[in-house]
Amino acid sequence: MLNLWMRASVFITLVVVILMLGFLVSQSWPYWWQYGIGMLFAGEWYPYERLFGMAPAIIGSFWAAVVALIIAIPTGIAAAVMSTELMSGPWRGLLRGGMELLAGIPSVVYGLLGLWVLLPFLQSSLNLLTGHNLLAAGLLLSVMVLPTIMVMAQDALHEVHINQREAALSLGIDWNTRLWRVLLPQAWPGIRSGILLALGRALGETMAVMLVVGSMDRIPDPWYNLLAPAQTLTSRIGREIGEATFGSIHFAALMACGLLLAVATIAISLLAQEKRGQFTFFPGEAGSRKK
Amino acid sequence: MNTKRKTSDMLVATAQPATTTDGVSLQVSGLKLSLGGKNILRDISFSLREHGINILIGPSGAGKSTLLRCLNQLHADWQGEMLIMNHHARQWPGGTDALRHQMGLIAQKPAVFPCSIEKNVTFGLSSRERKHPPAGLIERVLRQAVLWDEVKDRLHESAAILSIGQQQRLCIARALALSPSMLLLDEPTASLDPRSKQLIEASLSQLAETMPLLCVTHDIEQAQRLGGQIIFMCDGRIIEIASADTFFTRPERLEAREFLRWSTCDCS
Repeated sequence: MLNLWMRASVFITLVVVILMLGFLVSQSWPYWWQYGIGMLFAGEWYPYERLFGMAPAIIGSFWAAVVALIIAIPTGIAAAVMSTELMSGPWRGLLRGGMELLAGIPSVVYGLLGLWVLLPFLQSSLNLLTGHNLLAAGLLLSVMVLPTIMVMAQDALHEVHINQREAALSLGIDWNTRLWRVLLPQAWPGIRSGILLALGRALGETMAVMLVVGSMDRIPDPWYNLLAPAQTLTSRIGREIGEATFGSIHFAALMACGLLLAVATIAISLLAQEKRGQFTFFPGEAGSRKK
Repeated sequence: MNTKRKTSDMLVATAQPATTTDGVSLQVSGLKLSLGGKNILRDISFSLREHGINILIGPSGAGKSTLLRCLNQLHADWQGEMLIMNHHARQWPGGTDALRHQMGLIAQKPAVFPCSIEKNVTFGLSSRERKHPPAGLIERVLRQAVLWDEVKDRLHESAAILSIGQQQRLCIARALALSPSMLLLDEPTASLDPRSKQLIEASLSQLAETMPLLCVTHDIEQAQRLGGQIIFMCDGRIIEIASADTFFTRPERLEAREFLRWSTCDCS
């Protein structure tokens, strides 16, 4: 009976995902039909002139996520190593509790903090015209995705078997070598999943990013300029969806942005689960692929 | 914590004499250990000669495995005196990591690392030696562990594909690659098939000609087969030390006689 319920819930989840993708495809279809896939690489987005190039927002999303991960991956892993390997029980619990608290803070609060603290700081310290830019979005996202990486890395390190730890210890291998050659390689599948989930969140985050990214629909000049105001797929949808008439080509273009995000985040999520060996359609197979 | 192994220290440590002037490799006196307020080891004293097999037997909970872990410094809070190659364990040149090179510990459950057989053998070596292992080292230690013939054609394959018995022998080879002065074995053949058991025993007998082995076992027949010196422990104490022939035919202490009779003892 339990098996039946589990299969039913898996089935319902799949149906919901398929319906959601179907909705996004159908709503964005006029855009794809009229403009074609080539608009993914077009750099102009002026709705009033019916220009709907996706490239600025795709590049913006890419850079914001990259900056976030560049900061959050080493920090999250270091925090996880410190808490699991070096800290005593109470401190470990405190750090984990703090991280879980960070994960629970609504994204708009992060956005407001970014607006009031981060932007003025960036503007004054880097002598910019405005603090709204991709760097601000990336920095803010790094704090938001840090708990995901840290908590999953912590769990993964916990899962390294005591036999392996003691085998390394009894061989007289020093701490650094144990960390790099025993603990991290064995915890890597879990850490990698955390990174992929964090990437999914970084790409999908809307409110906080919208408040700090600058919402400038143009490709940064040069394209790697993180100090330029920019746009991400999520901030574009968040900012313009209220202005777009339902059924218009503008609305369809925003739905196309949503479709791109949905496909990217679902793919990342599946990849993360596949890497952990948890991706299975039928109960009882979970973990069977875990190496 | 000694977090970085210094090359110079390692050289000093590996240059320790393989034998001592008085022929004693390990001298333990008055060793005590308490864990969680409970006395686990009480006044342990014994010595190991420069080569030969020493069997540590006794009922479950006697402290045999804990004693091995103390010798390998996995339990660092012991009290008493431990002389290894005439050096105090706590003042070992190069620190605890260097000392562990000298005291190869083989656990009951083999723990191979998720890499190739070859890399497992060289896992404990310095990074330079791992990249360029001394000529013939891998073959020599795998032969000593009676594993060479089974793996010589697949050294680059994952160690995870080996059987449990083969993995245990690989662990022995890995410890031997560090040129230890002695081997500590914690029930190395528990839950292994008879063939694997036989091969490991053959390996131990061969190794015992060059270094002292201290082997924990619950298998009385195995202890009889391996022979050597028997150290009988019960309730955290060493009750009797005797040659295998004497111990199994004329045990002196009542606990030992009871243990041999029932393979258990009530020390209360």
